[in-house]
Amino acid sequence: MGKEESPQVTRRTTRSSSSATVATKTCDSHPLTIKDLVFGEDPISLNDLLSSFPGRRIQILELVRLLGASNSPMLPLFIYGGSSSGKTSIVLQMFRHLNRPFVYSSCRTCYSPRILFESVLNQLLLHRKDAANGYLSAKRCERPSDFVNFLREALSNVINNFKGNSGKLGTKKLVGQADGNMVYLIFDNLELVREWDKSSTILPFLFNLYDILKMPEVGLIFVSNTSPDTYYSNMGYMEPIPVYFPDYTEDDLRQIFMKNQANRKLYSSFLDVVLRPFCRITRRVDELSTAFLPLFQKYCEPLHDLGVVPNEEMKRRLFSHLQPQIAPSLNEVFKVSSQSSPAAESNKETKKKSSRRKLGVCAEIDELDFHMSTSAKYLLLSAFLASRNPATLDASLFDSMGGIDSRKRKRKSSQKSLEKKENAEQELLMKGPGTFPLERLLAIFQCLTSVAEGSIDEEEQGDEGVQGGDGGLMSDVLLQLSSLCNANFIVKGGSCPLEGSTRYRSTVCEDMALKVARSLKFPLSKYLYRR
Amino acid sequence: MAPTSASAADSPTQSAPDTIENNLQPFFVLHKASSRKSEKRSAGTGKTRRRIDLSPSPTKKTEKSEECDEQHRFEQLRMEAFELVWSKIDSTIKDVLRGINTNVFDEIHRWVCESFNTIKSFGTPGIAEATRAFPIVTDASCKLLFAGLVLTKNMEFVDDLLTFEEVGLCLKSHGCHVANLSSLDFSAKNGIGGCLRGLLRQFLMATLDAADMSILASWYREQENNNSPVVVIIDDMERCCGSVLSEFILMLSEWVVKIPIILLMGVSTTLDAPRNLLPSNVLQQLCPSKFVLGSPAERMDAVVEAVLVKQCSGFSVGHKVAVFLRNYFLNQDGTLISFIRALKIACALHFSMEPQSFILGGLLDEEEQEGEKSGLLPEIILKNAPQLPLYVRNQMAEQNGKSLVHGLSELKGLHKCWSIVVLCLYEAGNCNKIRLLDLLCEALDPDLYTSKASNNVVLENDCGLPITSDRSMRRKYSTSQKGGLISQIIHKVRDLKAATLYQLLKNWEKITMDVPEIHDKVKELQSEFRFEDGKLKQNVDDISKRHSSLSPLNSEKDSKAISEKAAALLDSLVGDFFRPIECIPFHEIVCFKSVEKLQSALIGDPRRRIQVDLLEFYKILRCSCCSKSGNILLPSMHDASVMYTLAQEHGDLINLHDWFQSFKTIVLRPSKKGKPKLKQSPLPKKRKDMNESENKSEASIQARFCRAVTELQINGLLRMPSRRRPDCVQRVAFGL
Repeated sequence: MGKEESPQVTRRTTRSSSSATVATKTCDSHPLTIKDLVFGEDPISLNDLLSSFPGRRIQILELVRLLGASNSPMLPLFIYGGSSSGKTSIVLQMFRHLNRPFVYSSCRTCYSPRILFESVLNQLLLHRKDAANGYLSAKRCERPSDFVNFLREALSNVINNFKGNSGKLGTKKLVGQADGNMVYLIFDNLELVREWDKSSTILPFLFNLYDILKMPEVGLIFVSNTSPDTYYSNMGYMEPIPVYFPDYTEDDLRQIFMKNQANRKLYSSFLDVVLRPFCRITRRVDELSTAFLPLFQKYCEPLHDLGVVPNEEMKRRLFSHLQPQIAPSLNEVFKVSSQSSPAAESNKETKKKSSRRKLGVCAEIDELDFHMSTSAKYLLLSAFLASRNPATLDASLFDSMGGIDSRKRKRKSSQKSLEKKENAEQELLMKGPGTFPLERLLAIFQCLTSVAEGSIDEEEQGDEGVQGGDGGLMSDVLLQLSSLCNANFIVKGGSCPLEGSTRYRSTVCEDMALKVARSLKFPLSKYLYRR
Repeated sequence: MAPTSASAADSPTQSAPDTIENNLQPFFVLHKASSRKSEKRSAGTGKTRRRIDLSPSPTKKTEKSEECDEQHRFEQLRMEAFELVWSKIDSTIKDVLRGINTNVFDEIHRWVCESFNTIKSFGTPGIAEATRAFPIVTDASCKLLFAGLVLTKNMEFVDDLLTFEEVGLCLKSHGCHVANLSSLDFSAKNGIGGCLRGLLRQFLMATLDAADMSILASWYREQENNNSPVVVIIDDMERCCGSVLSEFILMLSEWVVKIPIILLMGVSTTLDAPRNLLPSNVLQQLCPSKFVLGSPAERMDAVVEAVLVKQCSGFSVGHKVAVFLRNYFLNQDGTLISFIRALKIACALHFSMEPQSFILGGLLDEEEQEGEKSGLLPEIILKNAPQLPLYVRNQMAEQNGKSLVHGLSELKGLHKCWSIVVLCLYEAGNCNKIRLLDLLCEALDPDLYTSKASNNVVLENDCGLPITSDRSMRRKYSTSQKGGLISQIIHKVRDLKAATLYQLLKNWEKITMDVPEIHDKVKELQSEFRFEDGKLKQNVDDISKRHSSLSPLNSEKDSKAISEKAAALLDSLVGDFFRPIECIPFHEIVCFKSVEKLQSALIGDPRRRIQVDLLEFYKILRCSCCSKSGNILLPSMHDASVMYTLAQEHGDLINLHDWFQSFKTIVLRPSKKGKPKLKQSPLPKKRKDMNESENKSEASIQARFCRAVTELQINGLLRMPSRRRPDCVQRVAFGL
């Protein structure tokens, strides 16, 4: 979620963490204390908080208002906004600022109700899973009702503890001592809970938790990247107060990206070039930062000294250097770099090319770059044909070889038929490849291999006795089919395996099928029905 | 292939102990079985197949008991020889495969170290921080998960199971924490919990029912040396359930600062596979690098070179077998594993069929001990030789009774020359991407040799190298095979550039090191080359410097002449030393030629087998009651086979009612028809049968009927009634 962070804070984090490692060496087995419920580092001021999250001033102030002064009860909060818009980071830093105890559990890490419950309880009971206790939780808790009981017990314990402490110490405060008696439960990634059990029990339970517990010292905060509307909030619980984190604007993004830069001028000129086109595609900070990292390296390539302050002329030069890179990387989600030894550096270029998939540069990759047996290739082709061609045409396509077909195609060329063709293409695109039963696949496969084997036999007349005509390619088709399914080239529809009615669907793209056909020297286009 | 038939056949026989490999009996069975029809099963892949026909063979054996002892001894010898030879081949293959992968492994290890350092540079949290539930607030780039994509280059991934295991071991030996997960851990059924449990099981050596990343974090921080990366290897990414895998990746990326996890995934098709499998928000959490393993064809060539060409064990295959193996690899299966399996089957069949094959073991032994015990081997051979038909056959040819020992050593020598020539050719063809397997198939072809030799008068001269008197003959040889690979290669050598030719000659020199007569020739050519080399190199430089001034024609001519000479050398090598193993006497001892046997053992015919077994079930069950009944159906028979026999009388569709009626009559029949024939069977048992049959209720017969139908359906012989014809089942298999 939130990954943007001011340089000061990051630096401080690392420094304190290194000191923490020293500390833990000595007190490794120390039991967790009640202090561990707070963020654990030096509190930051509100100004620091505001400046470390540009463009989030309104939301932060709103949250501070809703959380209220220490010891003031609050209604459940529901923080939502797109991915990577700073929700989690702001909430965590907020608690660092407020220095109040909280329990955080992400529903991604805690992927089932049981683990979620136990994680909350472990934190409240100051329990750490380690080798000594066999990595077990403090309490075994699977049902919501158990959870409520344990939670109430643990919460009241913790709150009493706080009250006792604050009573004892009066106004004087120890370093690291929590502020106030409130305990906040934060549930992050709440949208994932919807899929656990079709949101029948756990979600209403969590939203209801405030009412069930009836403890004013408990604050609930839900963090989600979908809006409250997606939670079917008609279950009769009090709706939490929504706080919306809108997407960053371009200016916000510029401020965020400018923060950690060593050479601000240079980076600013870089952002001038890339930020606008990329903002049109995504405003997620994490996506942008992964996209910018290699681009900035590319941008700096012509420079010898990275500390240089760019002038107009240099900017122009750098821009022209970067220009050709921008458009491809806009499309690229997944760029695979090859980890090669210096010796193999030379063929890096070609690899990069092949990773640029969507740019229509399929011309240079005409080789199939992995191994498939011949019969698997034929099977793949027949599955492809079965998915693309209408079943009614099978007979005409495979009986008389293409002769009639071409004549038919000649006749159709009027305006109307062209339109029709376009429509059909559109329809095909929408529908995707069709399904087919196993029998049809095998029939087509047999046709293809019988055609192809004629040519194979001509090539190698030497071994006719061994490799009897049709037995050659047919023997373990089903085995090949299953390995094609495993490779995700053919998708199998769910059905009873004993019945013959399982339907398959080929998912290979036409480029791939053509590549396979080329490697077999098989005239695929002759058999492919074009509307 | 036929686990059902194997297990069905297994159960009635008294299952042999598992120490079968060391026992002599199974081998003897294998030998016997090869002559029988059920040979294809017995010669199957592993130990289990061998014991199938354990019982019948001794009965056959007893007839000629006087030979038994002698046979026994030979069988033991052959058994030992097989084990010796196969273990040698096996270890060679393993070494070769390991050697192929070392480079990639090193690369992977380097990458793991680099990635780990990158992760560490984001900061190393202490135990208190690492085990806290909330994430460490950091940069977006810190949440990137380093993922190595290992392209296995083969759609079938079985070959690479071992590879990934070895990557794991290799990384472990460098101090990483490694867990090997497979697609089974990423099933939709078990969900994310399943793969976390698998992960914790491997790292913590403990099974926890509430698996959770925080456990892993505290484990990692507890470790003495939390200074090493945690590598998670996923064998086959494509087969994983996409949603579970993406969930897993997202979870790992949340924890990556706390636990430095590095992912290594096997991709068997293309790099598009992860794109297709994972959603984009997952993809952008990955920081991928790719590694390419050797393609199956390359590995295959390496294995073929080590095992079949270089003759690590002395065992070799004939031309037809080689062609079959190649076609099987290219057309059917495409995995190295199945090739090795086929080779093993071939080896086993050879030792079981060829009475003299035990000599091979002796040869191998001798080779290892460098002639220490060599006195023993000829003794054994000579002692047994007279009974051996092969020897007799050869005696006709060589009247003066040349000793077998001499013949064998000659065979070895000739074969060595042959293999060196093949390697030279392969080296020359390497730049044209000629596959060794294809070359081997051509090189093993005895027709080539005999067609050449029939022109040559010196054919039957067994004393080694045929005296190739006139050069034109050889020319004719190479040109006569216009389309062949060998002539292609020789042709290509003629057009080689000087630099590549120089390299080629160097390689040849290395290859031919052991055979002085070839080595000298190569040396000679090389020295010629070297003499001109300096000049040549200079010339090349000159051309690059001032392209027009000095005519490059001269140097071109020079290199042309040399490559012409190299081609001529290669040609003469082919002419002189190229004797396929099948054209050398005594090759029967070391060479496996029976391709039909191998084919039936390897490919089999499971459906036919099922039908045969159903119809001739008594051969498997071996009960006393039904075996003598002939074609008459008896109530004591197995239901499914009764039903299937009855089904033979029907056409495409079987009316269920009719079928049931006929089944019922057979089951209820007090076996009157069978009575005269069944007289030998023990009487009390039969009477009991009759009594029982009377008591049988309609319901139980119906139940048996239903069960039998289901069994036939599961075996793929029937299809259940459709909605259109609810009273008929459809037959799926016809004939054998």
